[in-house]
Parts: sequence; C-alpha cells; structure tokens
Amino acid sequence: MPREIYLVKVGMTMTEGMVSEWFIADGQPVSKGDMLYALETEKVNLDVDAEMDGIVKHVVEAGVTLAPGDVVGYIFAADEVIPDDFEGVASTNDTLSTPLPEAMPAPEVPKTSPQPVAASTGAAEQNVASRTEEGRLKASPAARRLAGELGVGIEGVVGTGPDGRIVEADVYAAAKAGSTQPQMILPPVSAEAVANVSPLARRIAEAKGIDLAQIQGSGPNGKILQADLDQVPTAPTAVKSVAAGPKAGSTVPVRGMRKTIAQRMHQSLQETAQLSMDMAAVMDDAVRLRGQLIKEWEGEAKPTYTDLVIKATAKALVRHPMMNSRFDGAEIALLDEVHMGLAVAVPDGLLVPVIRNAHLLSLKEISIESARLASAARAGTLGLDDFAGGTFTVSALGMYGVNSFTPIINQPQSGIIGINQLYDGVAWEGENPVKTTQMNLSLTWDHRVLDGAPAAEFLASVVEFLSEPYRLLL
Amino acid sequence: MKEFDAVVIGGGPGGYAAAIRASQLGLSVALIEREALGGTCLNWGCIPTKSLLHSASLLADIRAADAFGISVEGLSFDLAKMVSQSRSAAAQLSQGVKGLMRKNKVTVFEGHARIVSPGLIAVGDDQISTDSIVVATGAVQKGLGSIQIDGKHIWGAREAMTPKRLPKRLLIVGAGAIGVEFACFYRALGSEVTLLEVAEHVLPTEDHEVSALVAEALVSQGMTLRLGQGVQALESQKRGVTAEVGGEQLKFDAAILSVGVEAAIADLGLEELGVEMQSGFITVNDAQMTNVPGIYAIGDVAGAPCLAHKATHEAMIVAESISGGEPHPLQRERIPGCTYGTPQVASIGLREQDAEPEQVKIGRFPLYANGKSVVSGHTEGFVKTIFDRESGALLGAHLVGEGVTELIQGFAVAIGLETTEAELMHTVFPHPTMSEAMQESVLLAFDRPLHL
Repeated sequence: MPREIYLVKVGMTMTEGMVSEWFIADGQPVSKGDMLYALETEKVNLDVDAEMDGIVKHVVEAGVTLAPGDVVGYIFAADEVIPDDFEGVASTNDTLSTPLPEAMPAPEVPKTSPQPVAASTGAAEQNVASRTEEGRLKASPAARRLAGELGVGIEGVVGTGPDGRIVEADVYAAAKAGSTQPQMILPPVSAEAVANVSPLARRIAEAKGIDLAQIQGSGPNGKILQADLDQVPTAPTAVKSVAAGPKAGSTVPVRGMRKTIAQRMHQSLQETAQLSMDMAAVMDDAVRLRGQLIKEWEGEAKPTYTDLVIKATAKALVRHPMMNSRFDGAEIALLDEVHMGLAVAVPDGLLVPVIRNAHLLSLKEISIESARLASAARAGTLGLDDFAGGTFTVSALGMYGVNSFTPIINQPQSGIIGINQLYDGVAWEGENPVKTTQMNLSLTWDHRVLDGAPAAEFLASVVEFLSEPYRLLL
Repeated sequence: MKEFDAVVIGGGPGGYAAAIRASQLGLSVALIEREALGGTCLNWGCIPTKSLLHSASLLADIRAADAFGISVEGLSFDLAKMVSQSRSAAAQLSQGVKGLMRKNKVTVFEGHARIVSPGLIAVGDDQISTDSIVVATGAVQKGLGSIQIDGKHIWGAREAMTPKRLPKRLLIVGAGAIGVEFACFYRALGSEVTLLEVAEHVLPTEDHEVSALVAEALVSQGMTLRLGQGVQALESQKRGVTAEVGGEQLKFDAAILSVGVEAAIADLGLEELGVEMQSGFITVNDAQMTNVPGIYAIGDVAGAPCLAHKATHEAMIVAESISGGEPHPLQRERIPGCTYGTPQVASIGLREQDAEPEQVKIGRFPLYANGKSVVSGHTEGFVKTIFDRESGALLGAHLVGEGVTELIQGFAVAIGLETTEAELMHTVFPHPTMSEAMQESVLLAFDRPLHL
C-alpha cells in the first residue's frame, strides 16, 4: 500500500494552504528525510520531508489551495507497481473535504521545516516511531538513565523495543556507533534543566549564579555535588564535554535542518552587509539582582542571564527602533513590536523560537516564556506559532566559555546580540583596581540599515540597562 | 602454584566484603585468613560486645520493669551464659561468612600470608600468584609503653569479653568507645568501675556536649571517672593489679587496657617491599592503592577511623579499583560512628567545638520532649544537628540516648545526598518514633520547633 502524503497542518490557526513547489518530481525516487514539497500558507512557508523511502506520485499540482490534512500525493515502496491511471487510493482522493486523520496535526508539526531558521531534523524524524500519540518519548527508565550516564541524547536514539520503545540496548548501540547526535548543546536556560544535582549544590549554584550546565558532576551517575561547583567557570576548560558526534573520517549528509541552516546562514552573509562589535557590561548588580529574584520567584520563575539580556535588549530596541527593523532592498520598515528570537541548540542543529511582544513583558514573564520555549525546542514540541515573526535575536555561547563571537543575522532582521560568559574584570576607582564581574555583548548588525555610531548607541543602551538592572524591573 | 586475579589477605569486614565484590565483578578471588572468618569485628569486637551489652541492657530494663507494671522477683544473672551467648552469636555469623565465600566462589586459604614479592604470596606450603593483593589484616590492641596486656589481670578486649569471674573492682584505662562500652557492661553487672582517660572528656572524639552528657550518666550510674589522668604504672599481682594514678597507689581486681589499636602488619613482608607507612598504618590513595603497584590496603590497616563500616566501604572501592572501575572516593568526614554504652552515642560530621559559631545554625532537641522516648522510659539524651548558616548544608549530627545508633543512618543518607534543611523539613517522619526528634532538631536549628 502506498503511503499518503498529506498537506500538513502547521499552527492552530491554519485553515488552508498549498504545495507551492514539489521538490521531488512525479514518479521520481525519494529518500526518507529528503525535502519533498514546499508548503505555503498565509503565515509561513516551510519544507516538508519524506517519511519513507520510495517513489513519489503527485495527485495535486503545485499551486492548488487545499485544506490541511488533504492528500497531495503518495509514496510507493520501491517494489510496488504504480498503476498508469493512478489517481489516489479510494475516496482519499476527494481533496478539500477529507477530514484530517485524528493523530495527524500534532505529530506532524515537529517534522516540518519552518523557514525562519530551523528545519526538520533527522533525529526528530527517527524518534517519531518512539513517541506516543501525545508526543511523549517512549523510553524505559533504565534507558533514560543510561543515556544520561553515557551522555547520549536520547532524542536521537532509534528504539527497537515494543512499539519502537527505546531500551537500554538501543542506547548502548547508539553510544557505541557514535551515531547519535551530539548531546544537546544546552541553551541559556539549561541550569534549570539539569536534573541530577544535589539539593545543596543547586542552592549554592543559584545563590552564586553558577550555571549548572557547565558543571561535570562527580557523584553517583554523574550527580553534581557541592565539591563540583569549584570547577566554575572562568576557564573555558570547564565546558561540559559533548558526547561523541559523527566519527572523523565519516561523511555527514547535509539535509533536513542542517541543510536549511547551511543555506540560510550563507544567504544571510551574502545578502547583507553585516559586521560585529563587542561592548563590556559590568554585571555585579545584575548578578546580585538575579540571585535575589531567584529566591523571590522560587517556584514561579528562574531568571537566567539570557533573560536579563533579552529584557535589556527589548527595552533598548524600543529606544532605538532602527535596530528593530526589516530591510527589503528598497525600504527599511521600522517595527513597533519587539518579537525576540532565542537561539536554542538542539541535537544536530539550532532552533530560534520567538518570545512575542518582549517589549511588553516583564522580566518574570520573559523568564517563564524563555524557559517554556527552550524546553519545548529540546522536546521537539514547538508549534509553528512559536517561530513566527521574530524582529531581533539573541544567541548565547557564554556557557562554553566564549568571550566574543560574530553571530550571524537571522534574516530579514537587522541585528543579533551574542551573549558571552561572565568573567572577572577590573574597574578603576581612582588609582585602585576593583574586581568586578563583567560580560561582553557581541552585536552583529546590518550596515545597510544603520551605521556604526547608532549601532554603538544601541549596544550602549543594552549595557546601560544591564549595569543598572533595577531598570529591568520598571 | 595457584593463580587468581585478586587475593585478599584478611577475612574481616573489609577483606571478606572485598572478596565478594571482586568476585561479583568477574574476578577470580582468593581470601587468606589465619584465624576465623569475620575478623576482629565479628569474632572479637563489635558483635560479641553487642551481645554482652544487650544482656546488660535487658538486665537494666528488667530492673526498671516495675515502673511499667511488671514485678520481677529473684532476679539473677549468669555471667558464663552471657559470654557463651555472645560466643555463639559470633560463631553463627562467622559460619555465615563461610557460606558467603562459597556462594561467591571465593577460595579460602587458612593460614598466615606473607607477600614474597608483588604478585606472589606464600601461605604455609602454598604459593599463590595474582595481579592484585589487597591487604586487609586489620589492627591489634596497643599496649601503653611498658604496660602490656598480660591476659592475667591486665586485660585486652578479648579477655574483657570472656571473663571467668566478675571483677569486683575494675580499672578501665582509656574512655574511648571500647572503654566506655566495657565500663557500662561491667557496671550494669555490679562491678565498681574506675574509668581513666588522659583527655579531658570521655569519648574524646565526640562532640563535647555529647561527652559531657555521657560523663554525667556514667557518674550517676556509680562509676568513678578520672579525666585528664593517665596511669603511670600498672602491675599484675597474684590477686589483682596495682595501679599508680596521679601519685596514688590503687588496687583493683582487674584492669582493661583500651588505649587504641595499631596496624596488624607483623611478618606480612610489607617492609621488604617498601610499602609506604605513616604513623604505623599503610598509606593509600583514594583508590586504596599503596605506593607499590599491585598492592592495595583497606580497613584498619590503612588507617583511622578504625571502624568496620569504613573497612566495608573501602572494600567496595578497592574491588572497583582493581577491576578497572573509577570508584567514588570515601569521604571520611561522612563516616558515622556509634558507641553502645548507656546511653548510646551516634554521630557524623562536624562537631560543635570545631565550628565557627557565626557560620552555623545548631538545633538541640532533648529526648524528654519526644513521645516515643517518654513511653519507653529512656528520656536521657538529645539530637543535635549543625547546619551551615549560609547554604543550609547539614554539616554534622550528634545523637545521644537509648536507641540513637539506629537513627544516625538517616542523617548519613541526608549528608550523602547533600540535602539542606529544606529537604529534611519536607520529609514526613513517622509518629510515634524517636526519628521525630531528628526532624525537630532540624526545625529547632531554624527556630521553628513544634514540640519545644
């Protein structure tokens, strides 16, 4: 039996859409994970991947408006005969009116490729089989524990147990083959996501603003203990080692998310006039404030340094609207809403979910939303609505000991801020050196939109808000 | 020539546990024991003394039974039977270890082992070759300069736990755990006990407040405590001993020396191999390795604290270490200690006298406010907890009172998991138990006790 290709539903509000382009011509072979067709809706464009190997048969031409869930084609197994007059399998060819199969909408979403920066992932593709209908990953507790011990990202493991459940043997196999994705690169909110921590170590880390994601635990099963906190954080060597990625000497096919990232990053560098600069912010007050807020908001929100930078950036963007803009080649559109993209590393790639109306949200609301987005990104449960409409982006590499980098603009935006690590700096009070905690912010902006002086003024505003962090609470 | 992956010398709580664990990890293992499986702990230490102390505590309970509506007449005791009961408990457990060796396919050699060279051991006429040697020979009781255990009227622990007659007047030199336990046993049976300690406190390694409460209890039981005093001379006479203490000549029917232990390393061959020692004990690293490749040491022979459970834990470490694992090193400050006197003492971690007062929070909950202690009639004692003021880390716990030795592991788990006061407060403690006093102590440290 051929497998249906559906017009996938993306976002709760999608009512219609079309195949804007078939990437695989009628009658041509396709491999699982290849881009199959481009979906176009009112709001977004995205690439849809093939779910299996086989021969593609179109039943709908590009450009025909359909309802989500309609069948647009089929994939035949290689050994299946395609009838010459094939127009679809009984009754499902009745487009427009075909009801959406019940389990379709949610599970389809993570497999699609939103244009903003992300794409479907091989990993997500694989473990669809290991997910329940609610999207929960099916893995035995022992497998989860082992994955933690071996540093294997369980999202990337192929399950061989009953119903595709991931069992211990699968984790071993994945670890041995080195075939799994690199362990999730932990995004800025990761401290909260680190589970295997003694209560004491967690409390001390919170009080001192130590990012637990940087710590290698020495206790049973890698549990982070009080003594491990001494590893922190000035030396880049404190970076948590990442589990084995692809082996040297092997080739890695560029497709899915990797392909989209490759195209979009290259495109951004080719089409804009981007350049970067760094500015240091004195963070002593921000460190203190964050420690107090963590206590005060316990159980509700745990602000990260990234959250502080998001809030400061959102406020600065309101003050400097040229940086919150789109350049379409002819005009610069200054945007009156700040929708902040937050780069989140996921296995084998990067997703940039968006905190909507960041300029209207309190620091606490930003903190809650960024935590939700980052964990949804890693769990593969982001909806398309979560990606839409970013006007500016922040990207954090501080937890890897980075002090400066040149982030690439997420087109069609005009700027992006890179968040670096906290370090011990020196301030001069008269003739006396005073130890301070500092952090560099790395701004990349589009010189077509604005020049160095206004860009520096914008960055100085961000630094000003971070140095006087009570203003983040106003 | 017989060959094994690992050979353990000494069948005490360190040695036999190391053999079992190494076998579980897939090694072929031999164990050499020259006396009885189970070692000092099981045959001549922890186990038989606990049997004797149980007899003493039963006796005390029966004497106090009237308060609970039980009248007993014609109460008497049989010392020989107490001793034989303790011996049969030891024998039963030693037999159990033999069974464990069989079950875990550990080959047991009887006799004295001598390490000929790294990887080669001689036991009688047998030669055993192996990759890894674990020295787990334990410790023996020390004398005091010219004063030595003579087995006649000057007793060591062995003689003290197998008395033929009850000494009417008994001198005990050294008020550490062993001294205090014998003092309580003999006092319960009616001996006039004089307890001598050079330090200023009984149980000198404990929290001072605990020591003070124990001292008070011992005195109220009718013992004579002489703190800060040593014995200058001690001589066995035809009947009893004469002792010189602080210039006084004193006479006793017997004296027990309990002034510490030293590593049991005689004629093992360690010196010839150049195994590094410090203060008479073998020096080891976190993985229990000595400076000589292939030779490991665990338990008493590898240094203080000389406690069975420390040896057993090091046994786990050494087995992992030998089979190529990366064991978590033992954290010495997290080893609990128990003394089974009247009252009992159990403790772990930081003592109050070692803490900076402004850096800690301390809770001290008396057992008279604990329901279960009241109904059992054992209201003497307290539970003290010490927390780091800033982080809330549980740094130490010191318990004194009847039954506290069964409570301390709760705090050991808490410290091991690095809990703070918050987790201990959130934990539900069952009622009515003595363990409620543990939680109350935590609450008290943070000024929110319920029952005080």
